[in-house]
Amino acid sequence: MNIVQNDGRPFFIGSGETGCLLVHGFTGAPKEMRLLGEHLAQAGYTVLGTRLFGHATDQKDLIRARWRDWLLSVEDSYHILSGTCTQIFILGLSMGGNLSLLMSATFPVSGVIVYSTPYDFPVARIRPLIPLLPLVSKFWPFFSKGEPDWNDPSRARDHFEYPDYPIRAAYELNVLLKKMRQALPQITVPVLLIHSRSDNSVHPQHAERILEKIGSKDKRLLWLEQSGHVVIKDSERIKVFKATSDFIHSRSRENSKS
Amino acid sequence: MSPIRKGGEPFHYPGKSPGMLLIHGFTAAPQEIQQLGSYLNARGNAILGVRLFAHASEREDILRARFQDWIASVEDGYHLLSDRCSSIIIIGLSLGGALALHAASRLPCSAVIAMSTPHRMPPNPIYFRLRPILRPLSALIQFRPKKFTPWRDMQARNARVQYDQYPLRSLIELEAMLNEMRNQLPRVQVPTLLIHSRTDDAVPGEHMQANFSLIGSKHKQLVWIEESDHIITADHARQEVFDTIGQFLQQVSE
Repeated sequence: MNIVQNDGRPFFIGSGETGCLLVHGFTGAPKEMRLLGEHLAQAGYTVLGTRLFGHATDQKDLIRARWRDWLLSVEDSYHILSGTCTQIFILGLSMGGNLSLLMSATFPVSGVIVYSTPYDFPVARIRPLIPLLPLVSKFWPFFSKGEPDWNDPSRARDHFEYPDYPIRAAYELNVLLKKMRQALPQITVPVLLIHSRSDNSVHPQHAERILEKIGSKDKRLLWLEQSGHVVIKDSERIKVFKATSDFIHSRSRENSKS
Repeated sequence: MSPIRKGGEPFHYPGKSPGMLLIHGFTAAPQEIQQLGSYLNARGNAILGVRLFAHASEREDILRARFQDWIASVEDGYHLLSDRCSSIIIIGLSLGGALALHAASRLPCSAVIAMSTPHRMPPNPIYFRLRPILRPLSALIQFRPKKFTPWRDMQARNARVQYDQYPLRSLIELEAMLNEMRNQLPRVQVPTLLIHSRTDDAVPGEHMQANFSLIGSKHKQLVWIEESDHIITADHARQEVFDTIGQFLQQVSE
């Protein structure tokens, strides 16, 4: 009778002065960040996989969640990780990427990596209806998820997330996206975006628009071809892992000194 | 635009096992257990001080909180710390003490310490008179000012990070959490230390005795503190509290 489900436990692995804060996506769980986290721990980093509020417990909890709660979860993890690390990189998948970018505009992080991250509400046809979502949610709280877009079906099997989208929380996601868009020009730290051209949930154009608006000089976008939305677990994950650890290595402080 | 109030940040100090999971009280913040964290870290132990959901941010946030969210905050801290340490000791103050005892009944740990911990809702006559209508009432009156608390150390009182008002809706959740805790007390089997001040103005000392008698552990002890009000980790006799905890930890490690 634990509240946090077994697959939803946050994790704190690896060692070293450089910390990586991993942020999962909307209705997802820390588990989707685990493979990436293990790769980074092996590469010599301390890794903390956060659990966002209302996630990996009961999907009804997300009806009460506000976008600030998710940012607070990331901030909690940032403070915990800074207890053992002298510099922190923040890495997020999808909505976790939005939270990572928003954090990097105000917290002294050494760099940001975002995967499959939206620029605005990913389902364009819903955008005009968004102001109505809090009301709709009272009668129709959950919206069933469509077919997933995995390229590597073996990875789909051990994936853990809520079965539905809570409509009230989709409204909050949209508020978060607005806050992130406002913050993009204020970001000055190194940024790497990774996005698949075959992403069915968040169209590749989103990555281009984020790239364009970010204030940093050191920013780049890495394209993938085959992967679905969850690029850190799908078929091109090795390429993603390598790009991730190369970016962190090259932007780490001790490395830039030498 | 950092949403956590200054002093409300959770904290982690690396060190050796057993790791100490520290839990603050209702409407308060990690700040009230931070000094205890430093004291225990100086003994060499790893420390993690959690921030309970909807605490130390904006006080309206707590109106959305359910007691399960606070249990989840403790579980998060527990899982993070258990990735760093092979064994865990859970320590809490007031509501944090209730959460610590509740966690110790369900999650593997080597000891538990609960300070100033209520057994049930403290005997406030207004609360019990309003209790039947509290839920609808809380939609109209969201907050009530806290009454003056007679701290011994006024400097420590002024340094406190907390919401200055009680959220009425959350009192229902606090009561529900205490009900959960009472049910679980017989299942607490690990060495247990309870500490309470004789002059606690918020939670009378009988609460400690009621908790003590229900706890299932063979190894359990209770210690009285003088010269402090409810927040014994920060008020005048805090050093006595820290030393009591230090001695208990010495005993359980032998």
